[in-house]
Amino acid sequence: MRKLLNRPEFGAVGGTAAIWLFFAFYAGGSGFLTWPGTASYLEIASELGILAAAVSLLMIAGEFDLSVGSTIAATGMTISLLCERLGWSLWAAIAAAGVLALGVGFLNGLVVVRTRLPSFIVTLGTLFILSGSTIGVTRLVTGRTQVGGLHEALHYGAAETLFASRIGGFSVSIFWWLALTALTAWVLLRTRFGNWIFGAGGAPDAARNLGVPVARVKIALFMTTALAAWFVATSQAIKFTGTDVLRGTGKELEAILAAVIGGTLLTGGYGSVIGAGFGALIFGMVQQGIVFSGIDSDWYKVFLGAMLITAVLVNSYVRGKVMEARR
Amino acid sequence: MRRQLVALGPEGSTDMRNRMLWTLGILLVAVACTRNEPPKEASPAPATTSNAPRADVRIAVVTHGQASDTFWSVVKNGVDRAAKDLGVTVTYNAPQTFDMVAMSRLIDAEVAKKPDGIVVSIPDPNALSRSIKAAVDAGIPVISINSGSDIYKQLGVLLHVGQTEYEAGFGGGEKMAASGVKNVLCANHEVGNASLDLRCKGFIDAVTKAGGTGKVLGVNAADPTDSQQKVLAALGDGVDGILTLGPLGSNAALAALKQNGKIGQIKLGTFDLTPDVLAGIRDGQLEFAIDQQQYLQGYLPIVLLTQYKLYGVLPAGGILPTGPGFVTKETAARVIDLSKQGIR
Amino acid sequence: MRDAALDVPLLEAEGLAKSFGGITALEEVSLSVRAGEVMCVLGDNGAGKSTLIKTLSGVHLPDRGRLRIEGQEVRLTSPREARAHGIATVYQDLAMVPLLSIARNFFLGAEPTKGVWPFRRFDMRTADTIVRAELEKMGIRVRDTSEPVGTLSGGERQSVAIARAVYFGARVLILDEPTSALGVKQAGVVLRYILQARSRGCGVILVTHNPHHAWLIGDRFTLVNRGRSLGTFSKEQLSREELVRQMAGGQELEELSHELGEAVRVSSG
Repeated sequence: MRKLLNRPEFGAVGGTAAIWLFFAFYAGGSGFLTWPGTASYLEIASELGILAAAVSLLMIAGEFDLSVGSTIAATGMTISLLCERLGWSLWAAIAAAGVLALGVGFLNGLVVVRTRLPSFIVTLGTLFILSGSTIGVTRLVTGRTQVGGLHEALHYGAAETLFASRIGGFSVSIFWWLALTALTAWVLLRTRFGNWIFGAGGAPDAARNLGVPVARVKIALFMTTALAAWFVATSQAIKFTGTDVLRGTGKELEAILAAVIGGTLLTGGYGSVIGAGFGALIFGMVQQGIVFSGIDSDWYKVFLGAMLITAVLVNSYVRGKVMEARR
Repeated sequence: MRRQLVALGPEGSTDMRNRMLWTLGILLVAVACTRNEPPKEASPAPATTSNAPRADVRIAVVTHGQASDTFWSVVKNGVDRAAKDLGVTVTYNAPQTFDMVAMSRLIDAEVAKKPDGIVVSIPDPNALSRSIKAAVDAGIPVISINSGSDIYKQLGVLLHVGQTEYEAGFGGGEKMAASGVKNVLCANHEVGNASLDLRCKGFIDAVTKAGGTGKVLGVNAADPTDSQQKVLAALGDGVDGILTLGPLGSNAALAALKQNGKIGQIKLGTFDLTPDVLAGIRDGQLEFAIDQQQYLQGYLPIVLLTQYKLYGVLPAGGILPTGPGFVTKETAARVIDLSKQGIR
Repeated sequence: MRDAALDVPLLEAEGLAKSFGGITALEEVSLSVRAGEVMCVLGDNGAGKSTLIKTLSGVHLPDRGRLRIEGQEVRLTSPREARAHGIATVYQDLAMVPLLSIARNFFLGAEPTKGVWPFRRFDMRTADTIVRAELEKMGIRVRDTSEPVGTLSGGERQSVAIARAVYFGARVLILDEPTSALGVKQAGVVLRYILQARSRGCGVILVTHNPHHAWLIGDRFTLVNRGRSLGTFSKEQLSREELVRQMAGGQELEELSHELGEAVRVSSG
């Protein structure tokens, strides 16, 4: 029982239950408890959750990736432009965008590892570069800021089934989210690589001296966050048959928030992918729950901020208890 | 470890549980206090049976403009005023930033609440078509505002309330031609933006129809100095009328005219109202401003959807043009007042 | 009594010198350690002890001088290389991630696995068994190896770090001030542990500024002052008082004592 308390996810799970109860009470009648209502916040949670899983891994390894949001725009726009302008098949366009994402992730990782600059700064730079390039290239090529028509691309039907269909009213993204979270959690907790992630974040010099390939681990994780962004961008491009240059803006901060709510430390070395999943769930519930309950949407940010602080307080309290040394 | 755990004991864990519950409780209370008033309050008119169903009418407004934005706050004021005047309940929702994904999810959430009508703006038909079609399929009447005038019908939307760009530009051209202008410039600060392109096209078509000529001048929205100099350079060709498409363009044009001393001689018109523009009209620097009258984009759909819900009546489709409304020297003073109240 | 065959030192440093910019950290340091022996390196703060440790463990390359492992000359260009040669260093910060479990910390960088890629898993059960056994050997009984290492006391944490180094085949253990942050009881745990390592055939280089601890377990002592080694003495050659005196500053302390004595006399006279 005590072990449960000590787990990093504890705060997030408790928070999720509390938020759910709150909205069930206030907005149950107006749609929060209906199947479509549940499906709507789960879908939001799923997209953020895929990002948060990858971002939490990186944060446990001690680094930040602020370019995730702009990577969504860049890869999504790549898919849309390749299909709409050059007539590529959807699968080919998705693959090309994937290569772009891997490249971005690799560069992020390489620069961080080689220059030892804080990843916060490096990825902030990447954010601007990607965001500006997306806008610039799109306007240059099309003169507009939105590119649609993806439903006319080759193989759209198959892609739609894979990424945008619904099972029993629930978006297929939700299943992707659960699967990817489970996979990520398994890697973190049950493999050698996962132990290296903890080591790289908790004591990087020591880990390096013990033989952990810290640089390679970090580069791999930057590529993972970029791939997560690519996945979400693909899903959204297919669901909304196109992309606009501002897609994904702000998602990097939301992913970090979800990870922190889920028990991941900003300083690295400790955290939980499952917790980040619950953090994303909280986000989804709040975003839609506020609409359902008729609370003025201006208070959305207040709610989120209060929740974040509460979650972090609970997490650090629990961690303090865990760390009490024996006499 | 177990030694420590015994010391922690039941008191320790209860302590933490209590603390958490308190924090959550305070949170709940705080948020509860911010809830909107429940709809079933006393209605302003005498409580006859015809008013009782009004209080049950619920309309959802979802746009891409935040209520904190100066343009959209006027729309929201229109929405709120209509709600009050009619005694119905309206919710206004918009994503925190320009985010089509979030906006479509907001529409989905509102649809799940089964309102009596939905009002949407359609800045990105691709992204929003699925959610809007879902609303229509769910049997909810949908009216669009502000953007999407060329596509609303295909999505099953009943009416569009807004300004059509071509007609607005045309109206501006007609007005300029009527005051004797023969050679015009249309300063477009965002070439490639379909709406703005249409404005210029309408403008020049109108002037050409009246026997004059005109051309489009592209200026850089991000660089006011560049824009100003470009306008200045283009003025040398005997231009006697300029239309700009927004405050960015009008600022640049005003600066250029001040620089070559031709202010008041070369007629300047613009789109959209800002305090500077209104002051300029009042002082004779600008001829007119084309007002989208976005207050009506907020007010009218609520009226229409309420009547539709109560009595099943609705205009037979098409576009209700809220613009172009022209603000000239005669009306400038009043508009400045209303602008302060958030109505124009 | 030492067997002649054991006399080839496990690690031998000869004439090490290292400067950083204009600052000379080591000028001329020589020492050696044999299997089953504890060599204490003693010196005041600023004597160059930490640079010495880093040079011996491959963090720095010496500007001059040689390193020999079992008689063979080596150039250690990285800590990983040093580790590969069997030199394990336990720094003061212990190289442990406090929030991570004991087992994970123990096996960091050398995790036991089972299964085949892509399903290769961290073998937690084996890890748990081994850690429990190793710590048991060193006299620490742990209820649960998945407890965070931060819940252990300072002395226990030190012991886990040393156990880790010993398990992974260190022939030479270099310990940097292992007892300086510990109380008497805890220090006792660590010192006992060091003796265990010695009895298993490790050579231990113990760097400390605590002469009392050094005296308790040291076999030989090297004094270092301002980057120079002042000589290596065996326990027979050095009395404890002399050791303390040397540690505390030796000659300089005597002069200081005279000076202060003068000052006191003058002010009260």
